[in-house]
Amino acid sequence: MSSGVDRAVTQMSGAAAPPRRNGELVFDAPWQGRAFGLALAVTERLGLPWSQFQERLIAAIAAQPDAPYYDCWIAALERLVLDHGVASASELERARTGVRRAS
Amino acid sequence: MSASDDHHHPAPLSPVEVRAKALEDLLVEKGVVAPGVIDAVVDAYEHDIGPLNGARVVARAWADPVYRQRLLADGTAAIAEFGFGGPEGEHIVVVENTPTVHNVVVCTLCSCYPWPVLGLPPNWYKSAPYRARMVREPRRLLSEMGLDLPTSVEVRVWDSSAETRYMVLPERPAGTEAMSEEQLAALVTRDAMIGVARP
Repeated sequence: MSSGVDRAVTQMSGAAAPPRRNGELVFDAPWQGRAFGLALAVTERLGLPWSQFQERLIAAIAAQPDAPYYDCWIAALERLVLDHGVASASELERARTGVRRAS
Repeated sequence: MSASDDHHHPAPLSPVEVRAKALEDLLVEKGVVAPGVIDAVVDAYEHDIGPLNGARVVARAWADPVYRQRLLADGTAAIAEFGFGGPEGEHIVVVENTPTVHNVVVCTLCSCYPWPVLGLPPNWYKSAPYRARMVREPRRLLSEMGLDLPTSVEVRVWDSSAETRYMVLPERPAGTEAMSEEQLAALVTRDAMIGVARP
């Protein structure tokens, strides 16, 4: 984990800032913590600046201002993965079907 | 709510949970991320970035004797000077380690924890064995956790509650006289502020 990404994450502000309570990150459910970690891990692994994710997060929040924060987070991460050709929309759909079957 | 709660009470996944899990599965399958890496990232945020608030408080207390007095007299107010605190008005009491007294914090009933300064509680803090044994046999449990205290040191166990949450002010390590507050803060770990380790 590069400290550059860490700094970029902790400095996100405005609507793109992760929910906090007195400076602490707040996850309402375990999957939100995983989603948070996944975005950092993917960005780092692909060698992308954090702004690549952050721009998409801001766009996702703007598109659905009333949606919960981590719903937008997932939408932004899906967008990033699609835009960078890491996975296709059909692969994502197949993976979701797999999760629904398993749960 | 913890992952283990989910495990014991399985509920249908919400649509966004399905998307999150599918994305993770796919990225793991493609070798973009290793499963352990995600845990490591979350872990870093829970353990290093959250407790940084508490570490700054401790470093200030080490560097500034007047602040230290304020902190021990009224933890909530002294911590609020940094902008850390809670609208719930939790009462944070800071207990000071000395050469003859070692303090350790537990919550025997649940997992009360001073989150404004320590972030998210570690899983072991919420575990039944920790909660029971830290009261019954603190010296032995501390030793198992890697902290051997000489018998000359008195161990004081503080039971947190929803009304009062404790934080340990560790002893300033020897040989740190020339360090800046920022350098001192880097020495302070979450475990030291719970009292299961020393900086």
